[in-house]
Amino acid sequence: MTSVADKLRFEPTALPASLETLRAEVRAFLKEALVDVPVVTRSHSWEAYDAEFSAKLGAKGWLGMTLPKAYGGHGRSALERYVVVEECLVAGAPTAFHWVADRQSGPLVVRYGTEEQKQTIVPAITAGKACFAIGMSEPNSGSDLASLRTRAERTPSGWKVNGTKIWTSNAHRANYMIALFRTDPDPNKKHAGLSQFIIDLSKTKGITPRPIQNLAGGRNFNEVAFVDAELPPDALLGTEGQGWRQVTEELAFERSGPERYLSCFFLLRKLIDVVKDKASPATLARLGSQVAWAATLRTMSLSIAAKLNAGQDPALEASVVKDLGCQFEQNLPGLAQELCELEPTLAGHGSEYQQVLGSLIQVAPSFSLRGGTPEIMRGIIAKGLGVR
Amino acid sequence: MNEIQIMLEDTVNRLFGDRLGWDQLTAIEEQGFPTALWAETVEQGINKVLADENAGGMGVGWADAYPVLRACGRHAVPLPVAEAIIAEWLARQAGASLPDGVPGLLPGTIAASALGASTLKLDGTRTPWGRNADFLVGVADTGAGPELIIASSQGLHVAAEDNIGRDPRDTLSGNAAILGRHALPLPADCIHWLGALARSAQIAGAGAAALDLALKYGAERSQFGKPLSGFQAIQHYLADLAGVVASVDAICMAACVGLDTRGMAVEGRNARFEIAAAKCRASEAVEKLTRLSHQVHGAIGFTYEYGLHFLTRRLWAWRAEFGGAGEWGEYLGRVAVEVGGDGIWPTITA
Repeated sequence: MTSVADKLRFEPTALPASLETLRAEVRAFLKEALVDVPVVTRSHSWEAYDAEFSAKLGAKGWLGMTLPKAYGGHGRSALERYVVVEECLVAGAPTAFHWVADRQSGPLVVRYGTEEQKQTIVPAITAGKACFAIGMSEPNSGSDLASLRTRAERTPSGWKVNGTKIWTSNAHRANYMIALFRTDPDPNKKHAGLSQFIIDLSKTKGITPRPIQNLAGGRNFNEVAFVDAELPPDALLGTEGQGWRQVTEELAFERSGPERYLSCFFLLRKLIDVVKDKASPATLARLGSQVAWAATLRTMSLSIAAKLNAGQDPALEASVVKDLGCQFEQNLPGLAQELCELEPTLAGHGSEYQQVLGSLIQVAPSFSLRGGTPEIMRGIIAKGLGVR
Repeated sequence: MNEIQIMLEDTVNRLFGDRLGWDQLTAIEEQGFPTALWAETVEQGINKVLADENAGGMGVGWADAYPVLRACGRHAVPLPVAEAIIAEWLARQAGASLPDGVPGLLPGTIAASALGASTLKLDGTRTPWGRNADFLVGVADTGAGPELIIASSQGLHVAAEDNIGRDPRDTLSGNAAILGRHALPLPADCIHWLGALARSAQIAGAGAAALDLALKYGAERSQFGKPLSGFQAIQHYLADLAGVVASVDAICMAACVGLDTRGMAVEGRNARFEIAAAKCRASEAVEKLTRLSHQVHGAIGFTYEYGLHFLTRRLWAWRAEFGGAGEWGEYLGRVAVEVGGDGIWPTITA
């Protein structure tokens, strides 16, 4: 007599004492390293770009933690990495420079790269000296990623690429891009015609990023034009025609982490201090409800990390946490406004709290767009429930 | 889940799965306490999972008892199983043993002034299954430390009332003869917290069952030439429901593990944080669990004949019992402002 709920259990995870030692070290390091970082920058955390900070984190041995020592990694567990990542997010550490490299590009290169690719690229990732961009979405291919059209054709000297990628964070300043291109234009091979490539952006001609300003004035993402861009033969990552399978694995890294519920945690911290002295029981109840959500999402997120650590594939669980986590983080700025009736302000005006609110309330719509929308997540969950 | 948990959950599923269909649940609502089913429950030791092994119990902890509580919610069990499990655990903590029979668990904390030399004065205490109770169990704040009070249920005035789940919630008044007093190494308000945890677990179970029914109905019922669950809007309701069920389950499990490992002292970082989070989330979740499961069912789910209501009416009742989202949210809000913005994450991760 089974229940469908049996498929979705988030067993509590007890972290070993050694991880609490690591956590204390990370907290102490971040406290000192972030002293001079402006509060609005901190509120953006994994979207705030700071190459110097990333190099410092690399020097501590806290990047590429799970990657093999043979390539400059640290051979540590996924749970150890999880502790470092969640502490960085909550502290508001500016991690955008290394974020993608540490989260997905490093593991992807280790898994599918050639020996040479691994030797060249992975040590730079673990040192915090390689910034990666993700070349997935295109102007006409968003949620329906497999409909993408940017074409990589074989040439005598390697590959020639033509097309356009969009919403590519940091393409204008990244060292590398891992991109998904169409290598077989046969319309019957929607998924099987795709392959992944790793592109050294400093050495490749014919690639032009055009920054796209977001509604808040930020310039993180780009439209990237490929015009007869020539790639060497060894730019292919993994196997030709296996791009869809590889990118699905990459998305599992992208969707399963604690950043999917912690984007506004810095605001929650500030909000608590602002309402502290004047909170009515009703205000405390609404604040406490958010604390309950945070505690719930933490236990679920940690449970996913434990499953990854045990070599399981928690793709369904990750979709659930991304969907719920997004609701939680997207709800916070509006709730903050209701609870203390302070205007959101631009950077440099108003209190620190108002500036954090002002920046996060503007970027919050992106939380349910990046890394897969709730509509896509719910489609994946429905499939897991057997109704799709 | 570990082997004990799987075994216990199977036991409860086997017992109640066969005996609590629509006919039986309806009969119980019309005819009252199912004496035979209670006897079977006792025979299988389900009421005593948390009792000491020397007292005929299983002597396990809350993490292992959790699947039992959840399964009771799943089958809309119209018996004081959760109340009995709490009472037996309290007895184990106090080194006491309980009489045989149906326990009446007194919610809240008994004031010292209500304790006479040999009687306990009840002044309108709303007690689950009070009319069926063979004895009463409560916790008193005596001034000299908390005590477990075991009292007779004879000779009391019983104002019978059912909650909207149609489970008895009777108001007891009068002087109850005290059968035993035992020093209890737990805070005096422990029944309120344990009740909140048990109701959260029942909400997780009933929510999962409502989801199962919605999935089954969505696959069977066709409109516009295809099953309801072929429509994206319905798929998204079901996915949303599944996420909410899983989230309540997750925080409940964390609270049970927390209770086993950290206890529930009034001061310090202990399982009170997770228990409050569990009941706050569970009570809040009831809104979506009931609304979406009914929406997928359409009008048929609104009929008495279908039976989704055995779950959803209990969900609405349990949402408020032992404190709702407002009370538990306020508790957590006070924790948050006490530890401050810099302290909230260390509190969550402690």
